[in-house]
Amino acid sequence: MSTITVKSILNGASYQYVDTGEPKSGTAKNVYFSPDKKYVVAIFKEKQDFNQLDRLKRIASVQLERIKKMDGGDFFLDEIFRWPTDVIEYNGKTGIIVPIYKSNYFFKKGYSSQDLIKGEEKNGKWFAGAKFRNKQFPLSLDNSELGNWLNYFQICVNICRGVKKLHQMGLAHSDLSYNNVLVDPINKSAVIIDLDGMVVPGVYPAEVIGTADFIAPEVLATKHLSITDPNRKLPNIRTDLHALPVLIYMFLLHRHPLKGGKVHDLDTEKDDLLSMGEKALFIEHPRDKSNRPKMNQVSKWDQYWSDIDKLPYTITGPYLKPLFDKAFIDGLHNPMARPTAEEWETALLKTSDLVQTCGNSSCEQKWYVFDNTNTPKCPFCGTKHQGTLPVLDFYSQFKEGVWKPENHRLMVYNNQYLFQWHVNKNIIRNERLTAAQKVPVGYFTFHNNKWVFVNQKLTSLVDKTENIDIPIGGMLELADGKQILLSKEEGGRVMLITLANK
Amino acid sequence: MRRLPVYFLLDTSGSMYGEPIHALNNALSGMINTLRQDPQALDSLWISIITFDRDVNEVCPLTELAMFQLPEITCPQSGPTHTGKALELLYTKVQSDIKKSTENQKGDWKPLLFLFTDGKPSDIQLYNEIAPKVRNLNFGAIVACAAGNLADDSKLKVLTDDVVHLDNADSATLKQFFKWVSETIEQGNKSQGTGESVALPPPPSEITLVI
Repeated sequence: MSTITVKSILNGASYQYVDTGEPKSGTAKNVYFSPDKKYVVAIFKEKQDFNQLDRLKRIASVQLERIKKMDGGDFFLDEIFRWPTDVIEYNGKTGIIVPIYKSNYFFKKGYSSQDLIKGEEKNGKWFAGAKFRNKQFPLSLDNSELGNWLNYFQICVNICRGVKKLHQMGLAHSDLSYNNVLVDPINKSAVIIDLDGMVVPGVYPAEVIGTADFIAPEVLATKHLSITDPNRKLPNIRTDLHALPVLIYMFLLHRHPLKGGKVHDLDTEKDDLLSMGEKALFIEHPRDKSNRPKMNQVSKWDQYWSDIDKLPYTITGPYLKPLFDKAFIDGLHNPMARPTAEEWETALLKTSDLVQTCGNSSCEQKWYVFDNTNTPKCPFCGTKHQGTLPVLDFYSQFKEGVWKPENHRLMVYNNQYLFQWHVNKNIIRNERLTAAQKVPVGYFTFHNNKWVFVNQKLTSLVDKTENIDIPIGGMLELADGKQILLSKEEGGRVMLITLANK
Repeated sequence: MRRLPVYFLLDTSGSMYGEPIHALNNALSGMINTLRQDPQALDSLWISIITFDRDVNEVCPLTELAMFQLPEITCPQSGPTHTGKALELLYTKVQSDIKKSTENQKGDWKPLLFLFTDGKPSDIQLYNEIAPKVRNLNFGAIVACAAGNLADDSKLKVLTDDVVHLDNADSATLKQFFKWVSETIEQGNKSQGTGESVALPPPPSEITLVI
């Protein structure tokens, strides 16, 4: 074991790493820790050519400076990305300096039955697949690592925000996959890693076509063509927008959207290439049902999540369903039709307003999306909702005296909060919210057999149906058909109350 | 779903007695532990181990990685190396184990074969007959590993072009070799280059790859 000092080729800064002789070895790089464990030195196994070196230098300098200066730059660099901060050379090899992952991205327990992966990185694959959540599987993850269903929405939001930011900068990740995100379902966070291969069309060409399961169909379908052939498709922003919904689908439904039962060729490799490439077909396509999973051919560990009749993608709710349709039906072979990262982010956030807690305390998912019926039940364990269920629909002023629905709904549950972004349409729920805007303005509770809203911060809350002002500290009852003005300020919304499950 | 079947054919003839067989056991259990830390491998990998000395034993039939129990591999103090007989058993096992694709069912991935030996086949006639047949089965890759100066690379070339020669069968060398084996098994799940078909990853520097 020895400590090695290396020098930046950008600015002469020096770094140290501990060489144990057994670095963590990835596809392209060996990774060593600094003595203080604040950063890693990732050294490329292969010699980097002029263009590769140029790409690394720009990512660690020009692009890093750009993102630092952007709105919310610190948030992205701290929470969403592990962005290379410098480039070094040592013994003729090139390396990059990358800030270390936060400690919550390492397993505290890992498998429930043994310590084999305790302390290892929480690679996204652990949480995308179904096996590791199946208690019967000999190497299933401990309950303390899995989190509940709602937490995976926040994980997906983080990934969407990262992809959105890269795309705003004109960069494509180019190899987005569960191997290149670390997720923490307990603290509801995710971080995007391996940013050194980013693509700018025409400036830095793609080095990889991606990771199996995530490569866009057009890239696989033209893989056999020469790299100089104008018809060859390589990773770009639009292929990221295929990989992103595959990740979201997998984190929420724990199965792959294109891996169904349809056989295209008797040769395994050719079949795989066709079913992920040229002939790719959504397993839940509403009209073409030829690629539906065949339950008798699915691994016994994956049965629960593979059943698209019991857990169809529509359980992700009314905002995500149309986006999955766009991504896996309209846009599967038409890259321009794929939804943007921001559309996914918005739909995920709106969906988190539609969730209900499951009444069954041993339900593994704990949350589900309201299914818009009068007698909702949890799709995961089948438990029916008990008691009335207030549904709030938001309206905003279109012109004087005319209020229009915004296709945004909030489901109420006990101790649910109301936030600024519900009250005023000019406040948008995204990573740029200030700390003050993240403070709830009131909460909902079931009190003396009635649903009530308690006002904590709203200065001009009016119960329009009864025509009374509700001061801070006051409360109003949620009764069927009531109209509530949340704010008299510009952009203030009205909410309409419906009581379901009566 | 598709399985990736991996067969290990391990030489347990007399010359492996002593340190080499201990080293082999350690290296194997290290490899299984490494693979068990890889969610991708746990998703698709099935493993079988066949040993050969005078007798040929399927010590582990094809088993899913998560369910796999590695037995202690033992060897007699002396005796011949029936490599041919082992390949013969493998040949029938592969035919019956592997799910072929049909119009209605997706088949397994092409299996991988790793053969480890420290000597020459004693049943040379059978070996010469069966090795080309195994070679023509639809394996994704066949890697033959010859350890020590008694192993005969040229015989192994009948089976495969990918022959790895280890200078000896000590702990460190075997550990490194099986680390490379696990990287080879895992590589299908890694980022794919823009170039043409994927080859074996470069072996560790201490190993000679005979191609």
